[in-house]
Amino acid sequence: MNEEAVVFGEPASLVGIVTPSGSAEAGHIQTGVVLLNPGIVHRVGAGRIYVKVARALAAKGFTALRFDFSGIGDSPVRRDNLQFPKSAIAEARRAMDFLAQTRGTEQFILLGGCSGARVAFDTACCDTRVIGALLINFPSIEDEDQSVKENAQRAAFTYYRRFAFFDLRSWRRLITGKVRYGHLASTLWQEMKRRTCVNEAISKQAEQFRLHLRSLVDRNIQLTFICSEGDHRLDDLRQSGGKLLKQLSAGRRVALDIIRRSDHTFSSLCDQRRLLHVLVKRADAMVQSTSEVRKPSFVAATSSVLPELQP
Amino acid sequence: MKTASSVLPFYFGSGEKQLYGCYHAPRTEQSRNCGVVICQPMGHEYIYCHRALRQLATRLADVGFPVLRFDFYGCGDSSGDLDDAGISQWLQDISTSITELRSRTGIRQICLIGVRLGAALSFITAAEEDGITAVVLWDPVVSGNAYIEEIRLLQREALRSRLKSLWRKESSEEEVIGFPLSVGVRTAIGELNLLTIAPKTSMRMLTVQSEEAANYDSLNHHLRRRGVQFDHQQLQAPKIWLPTIDGSLLVPTQILRSVVSWTCAQS
Repeated sequence: MNEEAVVFGEPASLVGIVTPSGSAEAGHIQTGVVLLNPGIVHRVGAGRIYVKVARALAAKGFTALRFDFSGIGDSPVRRDNLQFPKSAIAEARRAMDFLAQTRGTEQFILLGGCSGARVAFDTACCDTRVIGALLINFPSIEDEDQSVKENAQRAAFTYYRRFAFFDLRSWRRLITGKVRYGHLASTLWQEMKRRTCVNEAISKQAEQFRLHLRSLVDRNIQLTFICSEGDHRLDDLRQSGGKLLKQLSAGRRVALDIIRRSDHTFSSLCDQRRLLHVLVKRADAMVQSTSEVRKPSFVAATSSVLPELQP
Repeated sequence: MKTASSVLPFYFGSGEKQLYGCYHAPRTEQSRNCGVVICQPMGHEYIYCHRALRQLATRLADVGFPVLRFDFYGCGDSSGDLDDAGISQWLQDISTSITELRSRTGIRQICLIGVRLGAALSFITAAEEDGITAVVLWDPVVSGNAYIEEIRLLQREALRSRLKSLWRKESSEEEVIGFPLSVGVRTAIGELNLLTIAPKTSMRMLTVQSEEAANYDSLNHHLRRRGVQFDHQQLQAPKIWLPTIDGSLLVPTQILRSVVSWTCAQS
């Protein structure tokens, strides 16, 4: 056990844990992995999954930092009025600065679940030190008007469509009156409404997503989307990514891993193990792939497409 | 008068069993002559209670208490895995935390505040260690067997409401909301029974019961019979250690206020 509790940022207020590299595999030791809060859950993560991930990555040779954004977990709230989407990107970059200054890491992989995946994606768009992002249940579409009940109904619809429809026992329950017909009808009605109504805000988000996705791939940033099969964000991702995501995925420019039969928070131990396996494998591949790309001939070919670093 | 915010995260303890702790320095010019150690719950309950307990620590530091909030072995950011842990290790962790707070502050008197299983462990520690002057038991686990039944029921409900067919049994290991429940841990917790423990009569105790939570008549009767000076408060608050539909983390301000106020009155 050689983890270190750290405080960083300006002012020093962001609380995190550094798990130092446990081996000296080539390429890995210069690569930092920054784990970004999955929603409002603190840096340990549901089922303690971030702790397991950080320790597994460190055993492979990475330096891992899991930390809390301001106002989450052990980090106090910010004193300015910067909104979360902007402050989170700024703080993810402070985390990279910190690892670069104190551990000498030169390149980074960002890892996040749910809203943490969104921060990882957005940060990768504006920081050239990022070589890859591991995006777990990435929310490509965020409908702020959606209520808790509507969200629950979306989750229920995903289950009906993806699992119950193909399960004889579900049909038997339906026929023998062992289901809540009212709930079923309202879930189907809400989904039909959602699919038929044109939501301009959502269309715009999808367009922005494709734009940024293309830009990141052009910069040779390695992106892996990891989705729970039972999470409706998988449908959202496919819908907003459209043909571009299909093409990039088919051409192996972007990876899409689906953890079969898992829920949003990977709340069973076997799902956690599958997730862990995929994360370590993909992080490993990102370093290998980047070291190939960064050979002198590749650098000359790709450096022109790197965007300016935003202030 | 308040000084600048000072929360210090650090690791302490020995060798392979390092514990993660957060020291909240008193934010008044004069520190109180009593340190507070916060003992968090285990497993999924730890995740859901974290936000509330951090705020409790901040409120206590605001009124002059030096506070140490720590993660048990195999929990949170501490070393180890939950299935390697057990009651004796966790009791040792509380002792280690008390020693750490004492050496950091030079204060001898300690108040333990525990939630759920953390409360049960605080109760046992207070019965065995010297220098513990007050204990707050927030919805304590009184019977280990009842607790195991309760979390098993929660797991069954989760499997029902979280779409059972998404789950696939791959091994014989038992789990609760993403945390392992090994045979060793389950057996050790099952043997826990606060009604068989004789508390010291010299210390003050507060039992806090969230509305709709378990009934603590038997524990209160036990304390009364043993001659312990204690207060009991039943407050309107949700069971913050349980998952919520929208994934929010609850902070029961009425309980926090009540605990801080009671702790102040003891020092």
